[in-house]
Amino acid sequence: MNDLKKLACRLAGGIFLVVFCCSPVGAATLAEKVREHTLENGLKLLVVERHGSPTFSAYITIGVGSVDETAETRGVAHLLEHMLFKGTKRLGTKDYAAEKPLLEKIAAVGAQIDELKVMPDADPEKLAMLRQRLAELQEQHKQYVVKDEFSRIYGENGGVGYNAFTSKDLTSYLISLPSNKLELWAAVEADRMQNAVLREFYTEREVIREERRRSYDTRPAGKLYETLIANAFTAHPYRNPIIGWDSDIDNLTLEETRDFLRRYYAPINTVIALVGDVSFDQAVRVVENSFGGISPGTKVPPVAVIEPEPAGNKRVDVEFDAEPQVSIAFHKPTLPERDDYVFDLIDQILTGGRSSRLYRALVLEQQLATSVSTYGAPGGRYPNLFVISAVPRYPHTAKEVEVAIEAELGKLGREPVTDEEMTRAVNRLRTDHLRQMRANSGLARSLTYFQTVAGDWRYLAEYVQVMESISADEIRDAVRRYLVDGKRTVAVLTKKEM
Amino acid sequence: MLRYLTGLLLLLLAGCTAGVNPLPDPREMSFAPLDFSFPEVARESLDNGMELYLLPDDELPLIDITVMIGGGSIDVSEEKTGLGGVYAATWRSGGAGERTPDQVDSELDLRAMNLGINTDNYTSSLHLSLRKEDLPFALTLLRDLLLTPGFDADRMEIVRKQAIEAVRRRDDNPGSTAGRVLRAALYPNHPLGRVSSAETLNAIEREDLLAFHRRHVHPDNLLLGISGDFSPVDLGDQLESLFGAWSKGRSERQEIPPLTPSQAPAVHVADRELTQTTIFLGDRGIEKGNPDQYPLRVMNYILGGGSFNSRLMREIRSNRGLAYSVYSQVQIGRRLPGMILLGGETKSGSTLEVVGLMRQEMEKLRADPVPEQELALAKESLINSFVFAFDQRHEVVSRAMRLDFFDYPPNYLEQFRENIASVTAADVQQVAKVYLRPEMQTVVLVGQEQDFDAPPATLGLPVTEVSRE
Repeated sequence: MNDLKKLACRLAGGIFLVVFCCSPVGAATLAEKVREHTLENGLKLLVVERHGSPTFSAYITIGVGSVDETAETRGVAHLLEHMLFKGTKRLGTKDYAAEKPLLEKIAAVGAQIDELKVMPDADPEKLAMLRQRLAELQEQHKQYVVKDEFSRIYGENGGVGYNAFTSKDLTSYLISLPSNKLELWAAVEADRMQNAVLREFYTEREVIREERRRSYDTRPAGKLYETLIANAFTAHPYRNPIIGWDSDIDNLTLEETRDFLRRYYAPINTVIALVGDVSFDQAVRVVENSFGGISPGTKVPPVAVIEPEPAGNKRVDVEFDAEPQVSIAFHKPTLPERDDYVFDLIDQILTGGRSSRLYRALVLEQQLATSVSTYGAPGGRYPNLFVISAVPRYPHTAKEVEVAIEAELGKLGREPVTDEEMTRAVNRLRTDHLRQMRANSGLARSLTYFQTVAGDWRYLAEYVQVMESISADEIRDAVRRYLVDGKRTVAVLTKKEM
Repeated sequence: MLRYLTGLLLLLLAGCTAGVNPLPDPREMSFAPLDFSFPEVARESLDNGMELYLLPDDELPLIDITVMIGGGSIDVSEEKTGLGGVYAATWRSGGAGERTPDQVDSELDLRAMNLGINTDNYTSSLHLSLRKEDLPFALTLLRDLLLTPGFDADRMEIVRKQAIEAVRRRDDNPGSTAGRVLRAALYPNHPLGRVSSAETLNAIEREDLLAFHRRHVHPDNLLLGISGDFSPVDLGDQLESLFGAWSKGRSERQEIPPLTPSQAPAVHVADRELTQTTIFLGDRGIEKGNPDQYPLRVMNYILGGGSFNSRLMREIRSNRGLAYSVYSQVQIGRRLPGMILLGGETKSGSTLEVVGLMRQEMEKLRADPVPEQELALAKESLINSFVFAFDQRHEVVSRAMRLDFFDYPPNYLEQFRENIASVTAADVQQVAKVYLRPEMQTVVLVGQEQDFDAPPATLGLPVTEVSRE
């Protein structure tokens, strides 16, 4: 397992396959390297000039994610992310004026189907007829569609890593390009922000159902994670899967998706990071020219739900045709609260490296598990979870692993950690921060993440300094307060008898 | 300046003229040519034959070191399959020189230093990532790892047990099952197709690890690359004093066992209680000396390597909503032919439909030359994204090492773009005819057979059930 601090580790649902974790990066030098500019409409631009290679990475992050959905619109943030790859009034179409009436017809028939299909007494013949009609309209629509034109334009201009992802807290659109293509990027992305056309909606819904099957329904680790999160929270929308449950996806409407776009995709909620071979002045000019004319929009309102105190431990079994795994979650505060930093140290002390406590106890000494990891989940904008996951080694059981983990947590709550453990943890965090700065795209991701979730990218620059001020007593206190019996959720994947 | 004014003017206009798009049309923009040169990796060698690759860069106070060794899984006998992985993991965790395994772990962690060792088909690689101030420590540790590795017996047992557990878990994910079945069918009775079992893992003895190390780890059978914040002059002296006295080994060339014929084409079905089927279609392709690699790279982009710009993605995902992930790969083997494969996942009820669509796209590439515009997109994308091969410093170093180790021509990188640029539509059609032969491909389906839209036998190939292990 990797040793970095992990936040919102499972970013369910990119537009295309990719897996990574968000980690805070920073260094003494970071504060000097980041330059910022705020447009009059509220859009925030962060630029880091690095001229080592003639390339740059661009992240556009909208501060809206699945946590901002309602019970009726679960999955819409992610569905919209997919739909924003379908083009604009100019791109992706041969003739938007001619296409538009047909799109409206498709939307009307689609809405009729969606309304009818959930009715218990729906006339199957009428449904079949409507579905036939939809298929015909979709077939007619093909004459106007220029397939995946964003992707073609970026492709022929040498773009790599063209993708997007949705998390609980935010949605990001990313690309890396040769450095002579900054204006191209701005022209494409500003058009997307203002003039998106949600074409091919009903086909894309099916793509997302396939994505769900792939990432959760057929993967034991995905299923276990989804079940853990859905059970750890009772009220807070962090409990809902980013991608939505299968019937959520099937029932999301085009109108709901458009509404989410109109409501939240606006400069006031947007952070752009450009990292690489760009000049700050040119970046400001290009972004002002392309995005400056868009009206500010309204801010995403905060989620008002407060997760109630747990009434006791929760335990859930996941039956799957796979060998056992176990995950244990505890509620904790989020950034910028000091205890969130404390948990980054706890994370290191428990599983950072092979001399960490849980690795030594479970993997090397008792040999109950083949791996053990800890991470924060599922998001960072609201109070979240500290999760411990382990893979038992046969013939040892998930229960034995759970007991061994409890014993180590007990020890951590009784005795202060050693100076050496503290030094190790701080060195690790400090060095991993530097490592994360090596790649343009990683730095762009971190900057937009912390600007959006912590409200200021400087969280990164000041991170290590705060970390160095934390004492062993604070760690012990946090363990006693949060990692305790009566407040945990345990999810166990057990082998289904076939 | 003129551009700036024009931009402003257009924005102002947009304020009062609804419906006019003030942004420049990305399809009609032109750009200054990109100025770029290959970062120079300095090559040096010690008297004992140890080759060094150096790329200093002081942007961040970090250093990366990679050692590449000419010895991999291809050198392992059938009855000890899995030895490569056990060797690498035990080398990593088994101590070095005077240091016990626990001491190595704790000294690495104290410095936030990462040490990773792995073995692939033809080579083993050791990688260290460190802060610049820890370079002297890292080099001493590296010497101990190379010259006096511990291979601690207790740690080896832990590694063995973990490997056996991994065998027990390898059918947990459908993709892992599908990949294993495909490799076994394409490379029967060969290290490239074999997988370990509890039996082969239990047959490995500590002496086997020591012997593997003795056989392969010599100064004249390894390359050492380093990038980051170091002084090349000082480093040369340090390496000379640490490794100068290390004597050459017997220079035996890696013996590559010849391939046996692939199994006859068949549909392999692993019947599992799943809502989605994992699909692979595969065949053996080429190794790196084959000049067909350039048209094959372009063909692969068009078929399924170019993400949204590829035909599989367009037809199966974007037009029909039948998959989230669908792709093709042309793996260009280093020493022996790699695989050419098509892959994806779809719900049980569209399994055979998706296989049919994959075959149809292959047939189209065989039957018709690709349109000029599609060809141009594939070539431009491969050529214009080439600059990204150089944006990670350490990757530049490790690529230089790989190219030398596997005897690529010295101007391989310089000519890569020209070689892609010269590919024609006829070339693409020609390689499609030779390498995309649906009737010769092995098909693997991992999913719930009773829910398939048609019986696997309708694919016109014999059907084999994959049993659970």
